[in-house]
Formats: sequence, C-alpha cells, structure tokens
Amino acid sequence: MPQLPTHNYYEVLELPTNAAQHEVTTAYDRAKRTYSGENPAIYTVFTDVEARELLGLIEEAYSILGNKTLRSIYDQRLLSNSYTLEDLSYGSILGASKQYYPEPKQQQQKPSYQKDASLEKEILERKEWDGAFIKRVREYKGHSVERLSDKTKINPFYIQAIEKMEMKSLPAPVFVRGYIVQIAKELSLNERKVADSYMSLFKKTP
Amino acid sequence: MVPENILTVEKAEPCVWGVSSGKGGVGKTFISTSIALTLSKLGHNVVLVDFDLTGANSHTALGVDPSHMSLRHYFESQKSLNEIVLNTPYPHLQYVQGFWDSWSPVQLSNADIDRFWNELKKINADYIVIDLGTGSYQHHLDLFKRCDEKFLITNPEPTSIEKTYRFIESFICSTLKDNSTADAFGKLMYVLRDHRQRILPQPFSFKKYLLNNDGFVFDHFEQLSKNPIRMIVNSVRSPQQAELGHSMRSVCYKYYDLSLEYCCAIDFDNAVWQALRNREPVLIAQPFTPLSGQFLSLCKHMIDPGELRAVV
Repeated sequence: MPQLPTHNYYEVLELPTNAAQHEVTTAYDRAKRTYSGENPAIYTVFTDVEARELLGLIEEAYSILGNKTLRSIYDQRLLSNSYTLEDLSYGSILGASKQYYPEPKQQQQKPSYQKDASLEKEILERKEWDGAFIKRVREYKGHSVERLSDKTKINPFYIQAIEKMEMKSLPAPVFVRGYIVQIAKELSLNERKVADSYMSLFKKTP
Repeated sequence: MVPENILTVEKAEPCVWGVSSGKGGVGKTFISTSIALTLSKLGHNVVLVDFDLTGANSHTALGVDPSHMSLRHYFESQKSLNEIVLNTPYPHLQYVQGFWDSWSPVQLSNADIDRFWNELKKINADYIVIDLGTGSYQHHLDLFKRCDEKFLITNPEPTSIEKTYRFIESFICSTLKDNSTADAFGKLMYVLRDHRQRILPQPFSFKKYLLNNDGFVFDHFEQLSKNPIRMIVNSVRSPQQAELGHSMRSVCYKYYDLSLEYCCAIDFDNAVWQALRNREPVLIAQPFTPLSGQFLSLCKHMIDPGELRAVV
C-alpha cells in the first residue's frame, strides 16, 4: 500500500505549511483530479487500489486543512514539535475542535439596593418625572452613570444631560424619548409613564 | 587608454539548457528550436546544438539546409567546436549541426563527452540550447545531467507519460551510479525492484534512502532537488491535458519523494506542422500567436522568475 514518508497533511497535498487558504483548495482540486478517475498520469505507477487509498488520504487532509478551525489546531500541534502521530490523526483533531467552546458571557446581575418603602411608594405615585428625580431613582437603585451607559448603550454625556435637562446638549426630542425609554426599562420603571411625563416637562424647559 | 584587464576580462560561461524526452516524436526538436529562437529574439546570443544521436533534424526545424560540417567532424578531431558553429538567417542565433550522415555508427567514449562539454562551455554565447535525443542513451543522460537547466518534454498521450516516468527513473539511477560505490548501487537496485512490487516494509524515499545508506555522494541529488528537472507538456489540446503536468509532478513526489517542476504547457497548433512543411520555424512564420507567447513567457520566466510575477 502507498504509505507516505510521514503522515503530514501538508505533504499529502504537497503544500508549504504557510500556504494560503485558496492554495489549499487549488492543491486539493488538483490532487483529486490526479488520483480519481482515469488519469493517464497515474497509470503504470499506482494501481487502482492504491489510487483509491491516496484519494482517501487526500480527502482527509483537505477536511482538516480546508477548515480554518481544524487547520489552526493542526498547525499548533505540528509546530509544537512534541506531538505524537496520534495527536495529529484526523479523529484527534476533530475531537479537539469539539472541545473548544467560546467562553459563556457572564450575566451581569442588577446591583442590589436597600429597599426604601417611602421612596418606593413615591416612585409608584410620582406623576412628574424630571431629570433630578430620574437621577435620584438611578442612585437609589445603585446604578452608576457608566454602568447605565454600558447597559443602554447611551453616551454617558447624554445621560448626564438628561438628568440635568440640558436641551442644548441633547439631540432631537425623538431621540431623547428613546433614551428615556431605555433608561426607564433598565431601572425597571413604567417606561411609558416616565417618557410621557419627562417629554412634556422637557418641552417646557427654556 | 583602456586598461588591458578590461579587454581580457573573462566572459561568463554560457548557460546550457538541455532538452530531452522519454519518448520520440513529442516535439523535442520543435521546442528546442523554439526556445533558441525566442532567446535570440530577446537579444541573447544563442547557439543551438543538435545532439540527437538517433538522427539530427534541427536544421529542418530551423529551415536551413543541412551542412556538411557536423558534430562528426568535431568528434573525429578534424575541427574544433568553435569552427563548426554555423550561422543561421536569424540574428543572434547560431547552430551546430548534429550527426547527419549515419553511414557509420557513432561511437563516443566518456572522455569524448568530457572534452565536448568543456569546449561547449567555452563557446562565446549567452545561452546554449542542446537538443538531446530521445530516451536513456548513456551519452544523452551524461550530457543531460550536466546541463544547467533540464527540460523534459512529454505530451498528453499515455505512452509518452509512461516513458517519461521511465526516463526519470533511469536518469536518477544513472546519476547515482557515478556517485556511489558498486555495492551500494546494487543494493539500491534491489530496493527499487521491491518498491515496484510493493513488498518494502517502509515507504520508499530517494532522499531518505541516500541519507541513511553509505556509499552515496549526496550532493548531486541535493542539487537536483534545488534545481529540479522542468517538465513541459507539449501539444496540449484542452485545459485538462495541461493539468497533467501537475499530476505527474504529484505522482513523482508521492512515489519517489522526488521533486520535479512543471514548467508550462505548450498548446497544440496546426501552424506547427504547416510551417514545418514549408521549412520555416513557426515562430518566424507566425510570430504573434499565443504559441509564441507561451515560449516567450517560458523564456522570460527562466531568465528572471520575478519579471512575470503577478502583482497581487
């Protein structure tokens, strides 16, 4: 049977180890055309059985090198010099690729805060939501400006401007309303009530 | 006043390109004359040497009348090699007529070949293109081995591909024979036979075998890996046939761990035989066809591989 000098997929496809991805594909196409079908170039050198075995090896090599993830695992093992043939086998690489998971994103929990019955009641009954009160609720619920900005993706400069009700520093009212809705959601408030009240106050500010 | 050493400064040796093939009739003569013509068109001084011991006909491909001055005069010590270099109608191109009179068989010794090679290197030219004969004659292989660039011509027919492999084998073995002890060489023959019959325990690799066994001089084989035999696939009629060169290179690598280079494919063109019938080189009769473009890029690539590199 045709064994190759070493069991190196780059040698199977006759590529340098730094070959670009499209070169891998070209080499695979060529190798496949050479060892499958009735190619006159293999006649008298390799028998049908040998050609089929070579073709199997070529397919295996391409399934590793043609896949970016598998190829990078293979490259790492090949370059580490301390690999065994077992480590470089198809099954082992495929197994290693399945062990790799992206790190799960840590769910950031909402900061805890001391419940204050009188303020809770005030929040429920409040009709006039101005910037100062939103700031008060934010501080009560333990959110810093940075954290709120991180969560809502609103620029901290805008958050501060909203709390100070500085019309000059803010974009058009339709955007401000969007920001208020975001902030209210993050602070678990009734966003509709907050937004309506804030916007009516906002329009009255000189 | 010009300092004398400028006038007597030694000229660089000519670069010798050998053209050979495993099978006859694949277009050795056509390709060697075309390469010589293209090099001369590029402004280099070229001498085409017809060294086909089986019957010279470069003169026909060049469209000149056979001269009575041939290599026979040189090997029978009547003339020096410089004296039998003949002019052609084409600028910068000269040629040496091969053995044209075959009344008596050509008998050459190794010393003859040595002497011939040394004088060849002293010819005043930039490039020497040798049209070597077909197959594995000892003298052809000897000269082929010494050439600076080795071109091996094949065409897409199965017979010619098969003979090309046989030629490569016999070429490698003949180069090894001169660089090894008789014992080691005999052993290698057995190993190669076992390899053919697939009864070797280990996969065969020339490189590893020569390194691990005593009695071989490794230099020449090393040289062959650095400056590999260049394969040209002639009379290609489809892109699939042009791909054959890559396949053959791959087969040599996988079977012998031997590197070849696939140089280029030359298209089949009816103009070739039509021009030959008119006894005129096709590159002169039709100088602006894709065919001459292929020869041009081949020569340019050989002279300076950087020049034609695509800008990516």
